[in-house]
Amino acid sequence: MSGDSLPLILPLSHFATDSCEATTLYRELRRPLLRYLVCLGLSSDEAQDVVQDAFLSLHKHLVSGGPRDNIRSWLFRVAHNQARNRQHTYDRRFGTPLDPDLDAISQAATPEEVVLEKEKFRRLGKAMRLLTASERECLLLRAGGLRYREIGEVLGISTSTVADTVDRAIKKLAEKCNV
Amino acid sequence: MCDYSGKLVAWMDHELLDSEAADVEHHVLACAECRRRMDAYEQVSASLVAYCDAAVDQKTPSSLRHWVPVLSGVAAAAVLSLVFFLRAPIKQIPVRPQETLASTAIVPETAPTPFKAVHRQRSLSRMKTPDASWTPAGPAIQIVIPEEAMFPPGAVPEGINFVADLDIAADGSAQGLRLQP
Repeated sequence: MSGDSLPLILPLSHFATDSCEATTLYRELRRPLLRYLVCLGLSSDEAQDVVQDAFLSLHKHLVSGGPRDNIRSWLFRVAHNQARNRQHTYDRRFGTPLDPDLDAISQAATPEEVVLEKEKFRRLGKAMRLLTASERECLLLRAGGLRYREIGEVLGISTSTVADTVDRAIKKLAEKCNV
Repeated sequence: MCDYSGKLVAWMDHELLDSEAADVEHHVLACAECRRRMDAYEQVSASLVAYCDAAVDQKTPSSLRHWVPVLSGVAAAAVLSLVFFLRAPIKQIPVRPQETLASTAIVPETAPTPFKAVHRQRSLSRMKTPDASWTPAGPAIQIVIPEEAMFPPGAVPEGINFVADLDIAADGSAQGLRLQP
């Protein structure tokens, strides 16, 4: 009867291994994904939905035996494409000024630091709105810790193009923010 | 502008090949302008990371925050309207609610008729179509007419009295006179 139990054991053990790997990736990449999606312009609820769908797709990808290299860029690409599908809310974050009454700012030590932090964020938000969509996406993915090769895989552009775009965007931000 | 300025960001991100990275590092140690630029790029990059962290840590989405004053105004207007309608028509409430309920309960197939139209129709029909067969239940006033006023002296038949029914309108005027033998 061991032959009957073999088809049951193998898929379950395979599922458990993939679930453990997906759980580890979830703990590591959930916040960077959320941060990228929110800064792209999605609301908090929309970003949560996209991240959940992306990890569900990752689980199916792992279960179906998909390639396991470049999983981080694979996840960001799935989330990025889903964000693109929600195009009607895509430029909300940098289309409107970010509310300066942020909880993170209120935790600053002194009122002077709060004022300086708000002013810095206001200028940064204004400068980000002046960038092209590609420049913003490259900068946000770079802020999420992705390498140029991974950014190129997410956006579907070459690594050299990513390097040029990041260089140009950083210089624009530094100039507009008077740093 | 320094020739190495185009490679500074990639060098900071460790994206250059080892040979290129060593060349840029050697240059940066000797170029004050590139060191100043590098400091500026690092500062902007750190600000962007903090900006993104602050954005994702917001408890309320900024898009909803923009609607808070509008929603507050709408809620206040709704409360004021509710208070106004609860206070103003208190005297009208007990007038005809039972008729309305009764009409809808008795004739559910037909659309409910407005109260004022029904009332106006009923009053008009009563005034414009008087009942021709209507007769008073009894004489309002019985008058005895002196015989001298109706017959010449000596011609009054004996043993006969004439009684007249007089109809009195609501304003007090006489509307009809009928003699009864």
